[in-house]
Amino acid sequence: MLSGLTKRFGRVTAVDGLSFTAAPGLVTGFLGPNGAGKTTALRMLAGLVIPDAGTATIGGHRYAALALPGRQAGVVLEAAGFHPARTGRDHLRVYCTASGYPLRRADEVLEACGLSAAGRRKVRGYSLGMRQRLALATALLGDPAALVLDEPANGLDPAGIAWLRGLLREHARSGGTVLYSSHVLAEVEQIADHVVIMNRGRLVRHGPLTELTSGQGGLEHVFLALTTEEAQP
Amino acid sequence: MPRLIRAEFRKLVTTRLWLWLLLASAAWTAGYNALAIGLSQRSGSLTPPLSTAAGQHALFAIGAGGAGPLAAILAAAGVAGEYRHRTAAATFLATPRRARVITAKLITYLLAGAGYALVCCAINVAIALPWLAAMGIPVSLAGHGNLAVLGAIIISTALFALTGAGLGALLGSEVPTIAGLLLYLYVAEPLISHVAPLQAWTRYLPGVAADGLTQAAQAGVRLLAPWLGGVVFAAWALAVAAAGLRCTMRRDIT
Repeated sequence: MLSGLTKRFGRVTAVDGLSFTAAPGLVTGFLGPNGAGKTTALRMLAGLVIPDAGTATIGGHRYAALALPGRQAGVVLEAAGFHPARTGRDHLRVYCTASGYPLRRADEVLEACGLSAAGRRKVRGYSLGMRQRLALATALLGDPAALVLDEPANGLDPAGIAWLRGLLREHARSGGTVLYSSHVLAEVEQIADHVVIMNRGRLVRHGPLTELTSGQGGLEHVFLALTTEEAQP
Repeated sequence: MPRLIRAEFRKLVTTRLWLWLLLASAAWTAGYNALAIGLSQRSGSLTPPLSTAAGQHALFAIGAGGAGPLAAILAAAGVAGEYRHRTAAATFLATPRRARVITAKLITYLLAGAGYALVCCAINVAIALPWLAAMGIPVSLAGHGNLAVLGAIIISTALFALTGAGLGALLGSEVPTIAGLLLYLYVAEPLISHVAPLQAWTRYLPGVAADGLTQAAQAGVRLLAPWLGGVVFAAWALAVAAAGLRCTMRRDIT
């Protein structure tokens, strides 16, 4: 849940009074043009960027105040964040140790993310899709209640995208929360229950996907209308 | 906290940098001993006469003590590398209490630095003792306060690593941190510490204070007494570590 969230970088206000809630049991698609502030908002939710105003909470607590952060939220921010000379499996084992999970969790999530064969290779040799899978595997280590994902489909091949869709749907169906940002509107239309649209740091629309797109020309039409109209002074 | 220290050690040993820098430290120790002992009978030797306490202290302090700056680089690369390779996000997601993460890193590299020093001291002793004995120079660990110097080297190397880790956390950028460390330790400080009128002050600089701690005597440089050098160097290391900790708390991980 985000409430009045604001972040300025120098003179640029990246996120401006953003408030919305992603409900459990639903997949919430988080949309906006490049530079709308999605990534900054998600990073504030994950406690990595410190807000200038407002709060971002998961299950009622700021990320930094979560007792078991890895079990309450799994966060994927980019298909980067690996030491190139460390193997994927060792990367996961480092975070197993840091969070107090048994080391076999590393092999379990490698298996779940289709990386078992690549686990003992250095990340240097991974494709973008494999890095994206490893980022997801890291987020899944703690079997988290909520998933927060920033463009998780980026770099995945069609089979990977289908696999990801299944994973997110299953997670929501079992009562988990899914908040994920994407530029691929067709993908969002296939999977999201609710949609949040941001433009220039502000919320411009939040509602059920069916309500947003009813009687109009699909999500793309609504998205372009909202984000280009708002861009006018 | 033990969990986080174990995680930091796992990070350290799952890439190879620790091994290369340890080999470099060992090579320096062996190479310096070979040169200093091999040239000791000629004019222009590297150390004071090796039959004296000052000569033996310098042999150990500069030989095994060479691990200090390399341990600092290891620590700086380990901490600042988290920003370069963007692993800082995953690290702070797993442990959002950043002060705990940085404290675990500081302790990890303090221990790693002590480990480097132990290996280099063992190599130094294994080369110097039999070689000097064969030359008819009486030398022992217990004699001339050599054991105290070896102990000081372990403390000094650990403090070097602590400083490197703190600096890495402070600057948050790997290449400038390591370049800055090298330029300071091998260019700026040696230059300024040889300026005679400034030596009343320059002996309090971190690297010169570390030389005071280990009694790594070089011609023309005034050093602090070992205990005072140790206190001053520890104060520098802790100040840098505290600054790194403070900076990390406020940094946006973008």
